[in-house]
Amino acid sequence: MALTINGLSKTYPNGVQALKNLSLTIGNNMFGLLGPNGAGKSTLMRTVATLQDPDAGSITLDGIDVLKQKNEVRKVLGYLPQEFGVYPKMSAADMLLHLAVLKGIASAGERKEMVDALLQQTNLWEARKKSLSTYSGGMKQRFGIAQALLANPKLIIVDEPTAGLDPAERNRFLNLLSSIGRDVTVILSTHIVDDVRELCPRMAIIASGQVLQEGSPNDALAALQGKIWSKVVKSDDELKAIETQMNVISTHLVSGLHEIRVYSESNPGDGFRCVDSGLEDVYFLNLSRHTLN
Amino acid sequence: MNLFWEFFTFELKFRAKSISTYAYFLLWFLFSFFCIASESFGPVGFSNGKVLLNGPYANTLDFTAATFFGTIVIAAIFGTSILRDFQRDTYQMIFTKPISKFGYLGGRWAGSFVTTVFVFSGLIFGTWLGTFAPWADHVRIAPNHFWWYAQPFLSICVTQIFFFGSVYFVVAALSRKIFVVYVQGVLFFMLYLMGLTIYSATRSLERFWSGIFDPAGFLLLSDITRYWTVAERNTLLYSWSAHSGQGVFLYNRLLWLSVAVLSLVIGWVLFPMSVEALTAKSQGRRAAKAKLQDEIESRAKRSLVAAVLPRIHQVFGPVTGWMQFASLTVMRTRMLLREIPFWALAALAIAFSISNGYFAGHLGEQNVWPVTFLMVQAVEGTATLFFYIVAGLYAAELIWRERDVRIDGIVDALPMSETIDWLSKFATIMVVEALLLLIPLVCGVVMQASSGYYHFELLQYLKELYLVTYPQIAMFALLAMFVQTIVSNKFIGHAIVIGIYLLNPILYNVGWQNTLYLIGWTPTYTYSDMNGYGHFVPILFWSIAYWLAVTGILAVISIALTRRGSDDSWAARSKMARGRLPKLVPSLALFVIAAIGCGIWYYYNGHVLNEYLDAKARRGIQADYERNFKKYENLAQPKVLAVDSRVDIDPAHRSFAGSATYTLQNKTAAPIPEIHLTDQHESVSNVSFDRGFRKVSCAARNSYCIYALDQPLEPGAVVKMTFNVGHQSRGFRDGNELPEFAYNGTFFDSDYFPYIGYNRGVELDDPRRRREEKLGPLEEMASRGDAKQSLYNLFVQDSDWIHFHTVVSTSADQTAIAPGYLKKEWTENGRRYFEYDMGAQQIADFFAYISGRYDVKRENYKGVNVEVYYTPAHQFDVNDMIDASKRGLDYYQQNFSPYQFAQYRIIEFPRYRGFAQSFPNTIPYSEDIGFIERVEKKKDIDFTYFVTAHELGHQWWGHQLIGANVEGSNMMSETLAEYSALMVMEKKYGKDQMRRFLRHEVDTYLRGRGGETRREPPLVQVQREPYVWYYKGGLVMYTLADYIGEDKVNLALHNFLEKYRYANAENTETQPYPDTRELVASLREQTPPELQYLITDGFESIVLYDNKALTAVVTPTADGKFKVTLTVQARKVKADGNGDESPMGMNDYIDVGVFSGTKDDEKQLYLKREKFTQEKQTFEIIVDEMPTRAGIDPYNKLIDRVSDDNTIDVT
Repeated sequence: MALTINGLSKTYPNGVQALKNLSLTIGNNMFGLLGPNGAGKSTLMRTVATLQDPDAGSITLDGIDVLKQKNEVRKVLGYLPQEFGVYPKMSAADMLLHLAVLKGIASAGERKEMVDALLQQTNLWEARKKSLSTYSGGMKQRFGIAQALLANPKLIIVDEPTAGLDPAERNRFLNLLSSIGRDVTVILSTHIVDDVRELCPRMAIIASGQVLQEGSPNDALAALQGKIWSKVVKSDDELKAIETQMNVISTHLVSGLHEIRVYSESNPGDGFRCVDSGLEDVYFLNLSRHTLN
Repeated sequence: MNLFWEFFTFELKFRAKSISTYAYFLLWFLFSFFCIASESFGPVGFSNGKVLLNGPYANTLDFTAATFFGTIVIAAIFGTSILRDFQRDTYQMIFTKPISKFGYLGGRWAGSFVTTVFVFSGLIFGTWLGTFAPWADHVRIAPNHFWWYAQPFLSICVTQIFFFGSVYFVVAALSRKIFVVYVQGVLFFMLYLMGLTIYSATRSLERFWSGIFDPAGFLLLSDITRYWTVAERNTLLYSWSAHSGQGVFLYNRLLWLSVAVLSLVIGWVLFPMSVEALTAKSQGRRAAKAKLQDEIESRAKRSLVAAVLPRIHQVFGPVTGWMQFASLTVMRTRMLLREIPFWALAALAIAFSISNGYFAGHLGEQNVWPVTFLMVQAVEGTATLFFYIVAGLYAAELIWRERDVRIDGIVDALPMSETIDWLSKFATIMVVEALLLLIPLVCGVVMQASSGYYHFELLQYLKELYLVTYPQIAMFALLAMFVQTIVSNKFIGHAIVIGIYLLNPILYNVGWQNTLYLIGWTPTYTYSDMNGYGHFVPILFWSIAYWLAVTGILAVISIALTRRGSDDSWAARSKMARGRLPKLVPSLALFVIAAIGCGIWYYYNGHVLNEYLDAKARRGIQADYERNFKKYENLAQPKVLAVDSRVDIDPAHRSFAGSATYTLQNKTAAPIPEIHLTDQHESVSNVSFDRGFRKVSCAARNSYCIYALDQPLEPGAVVKMTFNVGHQSRGFRDGNELPEFAYNGTFFDSDYFPYIGYNRGVELDDPRRRREEKLGPLEEMASRGDAKQSLYNLFVQDSDWIHFHTVVSTSADQTAIAPGYLKKEWTENGRRYFEYDMGAQQIADFFAYISGRYDVKRENYKGVNVEVYYTPAHQFDVNDMIDASKRGLDYYQQNFSPYQFAQYRIIEFPRYRGFAQSFPNTIPYSEDIGFIERVEKKKDIDFTYFVTAHELGHQWWGHQLIGANVEGSNMMSETLAEYSALMVMEKKYGKDQMRRFLRHEVDTYLRGRGGETRREPPLVQVQREPYVWYYKGGLVMYTLADYIGEDKVNLALHNFLEKYRYANAENTETQPYPDTRELVASLREQTPPELQYLITDGFESIVLYDNKALTAVVTPTADGKFKVTLTVQARKVKADGNGDESPMGMNDYIDVGVFSGTKDDEKQLYLKREKFTQEKQTFEIIVDEMPTRAGIDPYNKLIDRVSDDNTIDVT
């Protein structure tokens, strides 16, 4: 499986340019898509998921023209939108069985087997007969995951899947994804850097509809090794001073004090110490560079 | 108070910014504007043509209707004002602030009240502006009076707003659910309509409590204005006085205003002013939900290692398409069936079906067997509205649901075609509707069984419900789905769909009646037991097919434009549509071809094969006839002496052809050079005379042709005119099918034969329509004694008495009937022939042809063959008819004169027309009015018996005695037939029954006065006033017989008949026809001097009594008897033709009576006719038993608008 996105552009009627000549090649396995809110992640995902058309560009999935042969894509697609609702007064099991029919699983036995497995896997088995409208946010999200995985999809698009999941469920979901992701293409969009670090052999950082960086997280980390420096600053004045002088990537609060991380080829001196780079640094560095440009 | 002001002004500001406020205002503005500006629009459009459009009655009526239909608007404004805080969750902010309950509730309420009053003030402005519309009928618009607007607005609109608004407000405040607010509006609306149906089915004449307890005002209106004449309708407003109209209006207002105040108090007491209390329920629900989740989450967790998901196989092909369709439809149907609003609608439909089904056996004044067509009509009737609501509502729900619940992201990315998804939505609606249609079916059968009727025609139910109604619902659903696909908002879609639904009848009323452009329209049809759907089948089939095809096109467009994905812009949708189109083109083409094909075929039939004439065009033809040919009205013409015809009826083609010869004689003193013919139905051709002639001219549609004889017809000379008659039904018409021609039950009369000279009967008589055609007022009938018109008879002016002979044929399975004795009957070329001959017996020139498949019941009674020709399913009343005929023959022969024929035949015809008509010895009788009657209880009126006796009476009054062609003559036919029938009926059912019957007759008369479009004449001067000659005439004659004796009245009639029967039968025109002066003289001859006033009042004037029992006190006497001291009031007034009244002196004899028993079930203890010379009189009456009721004119022998207060309880 390989998804090739070429020169994708999209401008909304209100003038927002969501995608700017964006190109990406995504092979089998998990692909992480990192970006801040409004970066164009969801637009990109919806476009790949056949829900909207770009103004320009092309997408092909193993020879299928995604923009033209939408139905061919839909047959192999598992899609979890960023936000979704459910029909009231309908149980998870019924809904999954119904969706299984719609996804072309013709055998009733297979449908049952798959739905049961997914309900178990997403820990909804106990609540499977409860109406979906009574589900909590996390349960609903798990239901969303279950429906995306019906019918052994070859292209899985999950938009912010871990939002609203508690840590245990998040781990279980990530395990599940990675166990499936070996043979199929999974695009995972998120703004949680850890999701990508833990799961994705490849990733892209996008902002304002453009790819800022593409590659494997390890390569990106290696490139920053020894160039990230950290310091705990004492006062806001000091923070302001450093901000004007250096390339501050991020700040964290530690016991009420600001710990800042800066990018520097060499030791910026004065209390800074060299720290291990994290994927977050890659992300923030890209964003801040992008903002400067 | 400060807070009150705060909330009040906030509410007003909020409403002032809201577009809906102005939309509602505009709605009422336009509604009332068109009530004035377009005559056929709005409630007043249906009242009579002399009522002022901006007069007090019109405004009262329009405002009542507007506030009733506006109850949903009231609900919307009042309900949402309180709900706003809960819908938008601002209550948390508001109720945590220190506000007073009065300030909050009072402010919101008062703001809503003012807003609603403003909205409804659109009525005033619309009406007012409408009076300036240049195209309006200004004859019916009076100068504007401020009080005519203000009083109805204050006493109806404002008080109704106060009442409904307060109730809705309180319900909303206490329930805090938007759903409840709207449902209560709808619920009230429906329950009220149901109540009205039930009330009207009881046929109660009660006019006090029904008015007081009416919350919406229609019964109130009817109770108060029921007998208002035109003059009163144009001057009187509802009176707030307790003395006017028994104070019904005042008490009604007081009752409902106090209900409103009470509900406000309840609301104020019960409304909790704290967030906790207001949201207690939803908090409880939230807590329960959290608990459930905790429970689930706390179960033992499984391994974090992901299990391997099973491998499945996807199959995509036609079978998958079907499976998807089935799964979607099942899921959607299930969801729909789980909705509470759906079940609420279904429950209402059931309630309606049952309550209407219960009254299916009540037809006007009559009880009938609930035969299937009546039952279907009853149970389906209003319930159909619910089926449309369900279709419209769920079309929107299904189109929008995925978006509404925001599951579209998942669903739109499924490997499924839009067509399958869309078809499943449509299928869901149709599955549910199919289930809903079982409601009328089951309710109908149940209600038939419960009223003891077991002939269940399930096929008829299925045809009506599933072949006629179901496709129409389908069209509506398709239309609604299309609209919802196009619009960007569900509620705009609803508004458009409702608009289209309402638009059709409005367009139809104002004269746009073409089925091809009235969306989803099918022409009206009538089911008949004789004929089934008969000739309506092709009309229904093709109009339904046409509209299904048209809505099918909309369906395909809807599929093409279906929203899918996240981009809703029209650019994106039209791009998608282009992508989908290739696959949709075949079905689109199919529907387009079908629509065009059906449309062309429909057009060909409705507009090419048959001339398409809407109501206005038909009136135009009548007007043209009058304009062009009235100048010939007084031209001397010969009269018909004999008719000899040969008529071949072809029922299968709803046609007939024939030829006839008229023998015409010049009865005037001058030669006649030209013969003029009127041909109303374009049915006459090949006219020729037995001497030299030429055709001078023939008007369009053959309506008037002039033939010149080479040699003028000398006085006394005779000429034979031969001609062909015929009517050919071609294809089908777009509405207005001729009722005369049916596969079973053909019935047409001499109107299809030529009429000699100008026929005044063709003239338009409605003053409104005449104004529209700029015709000037209708010519009055000649006054009594007019020398010329006394030589013409009332019914047909082109003949006096004729000899009649005919040979009529029909198809092999039918019987053909015409006046005359059957001389010969034979079969030839597979057709049945009948020769009828009247022989030497002359008849009025008034004959008919009837053909149908009949069972016959015959009985020879004292030399007269009494026969009833009926359709086999209708055996119910055949014996009743024969019995009435026999009793009638006895009574009339004994009291009036011998019967001139040796046969009396009653023949059933289809219910496309609903009357019975008396031709010589031949009575076509509609299946609707006599053949399904059911008389069970002692109090039931045997209408069949009455009508049969009435029509038999016409064999004397109308076929022996005919009046001159002058005013008044019609009462000598109708009033005397009515009197004859009353007497025959009284012999069988007794006086009590007749009193009950006459009470309804008088009610009909008094209501008829209010509908008079010209002016009311006294009985002896009637021209075109059926309500006078039937209902007033019957009562006046019956009362006269009661006062002077039945034998005296009959003697007078006998003498009169002996002298004038077969008037003007001589060919020399020496004995003119009688008029009502001779009848009155004959009656006066038998009336004692002191009662002569009865004839003056009853026959020659319009006199109304106002009799009333004032007090009745009983005291036991020493000898164990009872003395009643009774004070009564007797008053009478004389009215003129417009209803203006002036008091009259009193010198009358009126019954005074004392009774035991309860009201309406009294036993007479004492009855004496007392002379009244003053208004109030007191009587002391001794009776043997303990009396309970007493009063004046207790049997309502005199015409009194308030008949209820004639007797009172004795105290």
